[in-house]
Amino acid sequence: MSDVTVDRMEAVLRVRDVRKSFRSGTRTFEILNGVTFDVAAGESLSIRGESGSGKTTLLNIVAGLETADAGGVLWKDLKAHEQSPRALCRWRRDFVGMVFQAYYLIPEMNALENVLFPARLRGGISRTERERAAALLEAVGLSGRMESLPATLSGGERQRVAIARGLMNRPALLLADEPTGNLDERTSAAIMSLLLDVCRGESAALVLVTHSPVYAAQTSRTALLHEGRLE
Amino acid sequence: MPWYIYLALRQIFPRGRLVSPFFLLSVLGVTLGVMILIIVQSVMGGFGQTYRELIVDTNGHLRVETGGVDYRYRETVERLREDPAIRAAAPFAQGVVMLQHRQQPAFPYIRGIEPWSEGKVIPLDDFMIRGSLDDLHDDSILLSSVLARQLRADVGATVDVYTPLMLDQLKEDEVLLPRELRVAGIYETGWNQFDSTTMVATLRLMQDLYAMEGGAHGIAVRVNPGVDEFQVAQRLNEELGPPYRAVTWTQMYEDFLWVLQLEKSVMFFLLLFIVLVAAFAIAISMLLTVLRKTREIGLIGAMGGGARNLAASYCFQGFFIGVCGSIAGTGLALLALRYRDEIVSAFATVTGSRDVLIQFYQFAHLPAHYNPRDFVIIIAAALLLSTAAGFLPAFRAARLKPAEALRHE
Ligand SMILES: Nc1ncnc2c1ncn2[C@@H]1O[C@H](COP(=O)(O)OP(=O)(O)OP(=O)(O)O)[C@@H](O)[C@H]1O
Ligand SMILES: [Mg+2]
Repeated sequence: MSDVTVDRMEAVLRVRDVRKSFRSGTRTFEILNGVTFDVAAGESLSIRGESGSGKTTLLNIVAGLETADAGGVLWKDLKAHEQSPRALCRWRRDFVGMVFQAYYLIPEMNALENVLFPARLRGGISRTERERAAALLEAVGLSGRMESLPATLSGGERQRVAIARGLMNRPALLLADEPTGNLDERTSAAIMSLLLDVCRGESAALVLVTHSPVYAAQTSRTALLHEGRLE
Repeated sequence: MPWYIYLALRQIFPRGRLVSPFFLLSVLGVTLGVMILIIVQSVMGGFGQTYRELIVDTNGHLRVETGGVDYRYRETVERLREDPAIRAAAPFAQGVVMLQHRQQPAFPYIRGIEPWSEGKVIPLDDFMIRGSLDDLHDDSILLSSVLARQLRADVGATVDVYTPLMLDQLKEDEVLLPRELRVAGIYETGWNQFDSTTMVATLRLMQDLYAMEGGAHGIAVRVNPGVDEFQVAQRLNEELGPPYRAVTWTQMYEDFLWVLQLEKSVMFFLLLFIVLVAAFAIAISMLLTVLRKTREIGLIGAMGGGARNLAASYCFQGFFIGVCGSIAGTGLALLALRYRDEIVSAFATVTGSRDVLIQFYQFAHLPAHYNPRDFVIIIAAALLLSTAAGFLPAFRAARLKPAEALRHE
């Protein structure tokens, strides 16, 4: 990929020259070595890379869960890398949705409650939120399983719930870290097209980490993380 | 509802199950502690209350005394009776005698009273179980119940009474002749110690036995209902002046009451350890939950749930366990206390220890006194300890970095 920065006003996420290294014993591992990219609203970017190349680390830095050694992350106009952890936590609630390989649903809550939980983090929930949660579950094809507990759902169904949850607070940015990593091929394809559709429908920017070149090709842009840089 | 309380309640009452077993066991621990504490404190309070009532009933509220024999007591009694705060005043003399009935000796305290005035200070009439106070004359006595049983002396029996004065006669080689006195009645206060060591005679007989003609050892006083006896004592001390001294019932039994209170406090601290152990159980089970849920906790952080609120979620769980344990413990304690007589007699029947129980505790029935202050202290301690138990897991949960927690295996 030649042009990783898009110089458009509606860029939802700007990542500038992010560097990150981990120290293990006496050795220092340079994981990210100046990563720069932009994502615009409604756009999707897939990031591929070998295992251990730093994809999860990059997503964590984008989400503000880890701090970069150098470089900047902008959520729209907000300089995420300059925020205090507490303030960042509040911004993240409204700005970023996340989907993980292992779903991470809360087992004590049913599907609907899991989807509603981000709204609870923001404040009380009312009819509006309930209706949105129900609509999201319908959009991911689970309108009949709202009362189901995570333990009674299949892997693919769980990931659908997780996607609906990730979008609950209408985030401008959805980060998905190998969302199909635990699923079989057919389910993966379904989940992937669903993810892209729903994000487009919600006009959320999507950053997708995946191993599969097939799914990567479905996103508007695709990048490869190699030796600490996006190519 | 704030999300952290919602989260706590969902963890306690998960969907699809009634209640989390961790929660149930934790509540059970607090319940046991609170229940035992309330039962024991209420029964100890009941003993205290019973003793306090018995002390007042057998001594009056105050004793006005000179420290020796008072030969001007009549004037003073009159003066006390005119006091508007005082309901009744009765002079008395007291000492020790030796009693003998059919070769059975006993050495009780004897109290000489005016039969017509005494009853207004000390409800002797209510205590009579055989015979009558009206039959008490200068040649008769009243025996306490256990003492009468020991001597095998019933109403109408004649007992021999020896006084310390007779020792002087003995020294002078005179012939020792005991006073023969008729048993006019038997009384029982319910206070075992009192019922096995006391007897009552008229003041005149006592004056005669102790060679203190026209004298008394003190005046027992009962104040009017609603009047503070301690203020009255203070006022009497100022008004009467030396050699008179007004002694309140709490001063008469100061050491005894102090020990009683000490026993109660010590029991409280010892039994508080049950709640403390329950708090450790809460801390352990919640710490386990935090470890088990590390990745979920990371997820909540990643979704924008603040660390402080997350900590509050676990503190709330501890607090909620305390609330449930306190409610259940208080309820069970009140139930057990309500049926305490049935429980004790069942226990006594099983172990065959009823007599021992009565002898040891000196009461035929287990008393209970509900002191709101005890309840407040016990419940406050339970809430405090169980909330504090949530701190450690809460701290751990709050310190988890979402990125690290999500990598956790
Ligand atoms: N907290 C940390 N401390 C030390 N090393 C770390 C830490 N986090 C990540 N690393 C290292 O950084 C490198 C990149 O990890 P990361 O999880 O980002 O890889 P990845 O590209 O997501 O791999 P995968 O495809 O297997 O998920 C790895 O070598 C990992 O060991
Ligand atoms: Mg990864």
